[in-house]
Amino acid sequence: MLEKNTSGRVYGLTLLCPIRNESQDGSSCAEILRCYLQNLDTEDGSPMAKAPNTYFARFYVLNDVFYEGFDCKEEHLKSRYLVFSSNFHGDRDAYVRGMWNSNKEGVKAIWRFCVGFENVTDAEGFADYVKRCQVDNALVFNGSTDDSLAEQLKALYLKQEFSRFAYANQGASPERLQQNFNKFVEQTQPFNLAHPTWPSGHLHPNASIADGS
Amino acid sequence: MSNLAGKSYAMNVVTPLKRSTAWINKLIFWGAQLPGLRVLNGLETLSLIHYAQWAIVKPGQFPRLDSSQPKEDIEYAYMFFFSNFNGSWAQYVDSFHMSIPRGLDLFWRKNLKYPKSVPLQPFHAYINYNQICTDHYYNAYPCASSNDVKAAKSIKRALGAFIEDTRNAPPADFANKYRALLNELQNDLSLMAATPIVSLAAAAVESRHGAET
Repeated sequence: MLEKNTSGRVYGLTLLCPIRNESQDGSSCAEILRCYLQNLDTEDGSPMAKAPNTYFARFYVLNDVFYEGFDCKEEHLKSRYLVFSSNFHGDRDAYVRGMWNSNKEGVKAIWRFCVGFENVTDAEGFADYVKRCQVDNALVFNGSTDDSLAEQLKALYLKQEFSRFAYANQGASPERLQQNFNKFVEQTQPFNLAHPTWPSGHLHPNASIADGS
Repeated sequence: MSNLAGKSYAMNVVTPLKRSTAWINKLIFWGAQLPGLRVLNGLETLSLIHYAQWAIVKPGQFPRLDSSQPKEDIEYAYMFFFSNFNGSWAQYVDSFHMSIPRGLDLFWRKNLKYPKSVPLQPFHAYINYNQICTDHYYNAYPCASSNDVKAAKSIKRALGAFIEDTRNAPPADFANKYRALLNELQNDLSLMAATPIVSLAAAAVESRHGAET
């Protein structure tokens, strides 16, 4: 049985969340929401950085559909939609509950103008709301890995640190090389996913160690 | 607003297709996942995509969460495309045009006014016209490319095996095995950093944000 929304352990979530056709202080809810989204921190301060196992996520406001020109029908949507797309590791319901539990206020701030969200009060309610807004994918393509985010971030941390180590230890004697490598292992803890590692969403993760000197 | 998060670009394209032929596209996407057909090989070979997904939404499938929400009366189905890839818009679109035109034509088959991916200019115009900018984009590892994530996985695995293998090795044996390890990982080792400038527009946004903070 082929899965619509997954590729291995990668889940591709697509939501179309209708936005209330209302306005506040002369601006439509869609306009206020778009402005809010555009001003969110895009790195480790993003609300999505707190959602466990998120690889990538995006939001945009769909105002309307496109008219393709001659001999096509011109049609318009009656609602605007908050489109949310996320690629993450694991199961949908656990992910959505994790989103809520890790950053309830952030979730509320984003979805506050959406139809039906006013009834959401807890993680279970949010999971139910997400199911109602979800549209199935026809295909999810994984061009990367489907490991947990912690596994990916630790691997990236090790890649960075070991690249530095290899560069710094060119020409070292066998004794010195082994000594430095043991120190490298002690500092980077390759089998410990939690620490030290790269933080989620950081554009300039600090690489601290390296040459073992 | 930005389609960029570090080294990744978020592309959103929404295109109409006739409701009566939407099943053909769904069938194509279903068939693309069958292992023997190798339809996705071209995408994998390009190796610049982290994750991508396609959803086909028929008129009755736009979520309606409350009776107060007006019912959509559109006739077309719409294909939503989301991609997370490395590089600029032009690099991505041109790579597909050059490398896997038949694959693109297969996935966008039956989409209204799709000009086919060759020649390039009409294809550019089609994507441009139907693209929607991202209001908020989050990337868990903005300074890593898709190839970095895959390389990191290889490094972590090899490093773990090396540590186990050389735990009590004499220095000379250790050094020999270390050299073999570097030889094995030479295509995976590299330092990651933020991309200096993906596009002039992105650089202007960065500069403006820098001035504001």
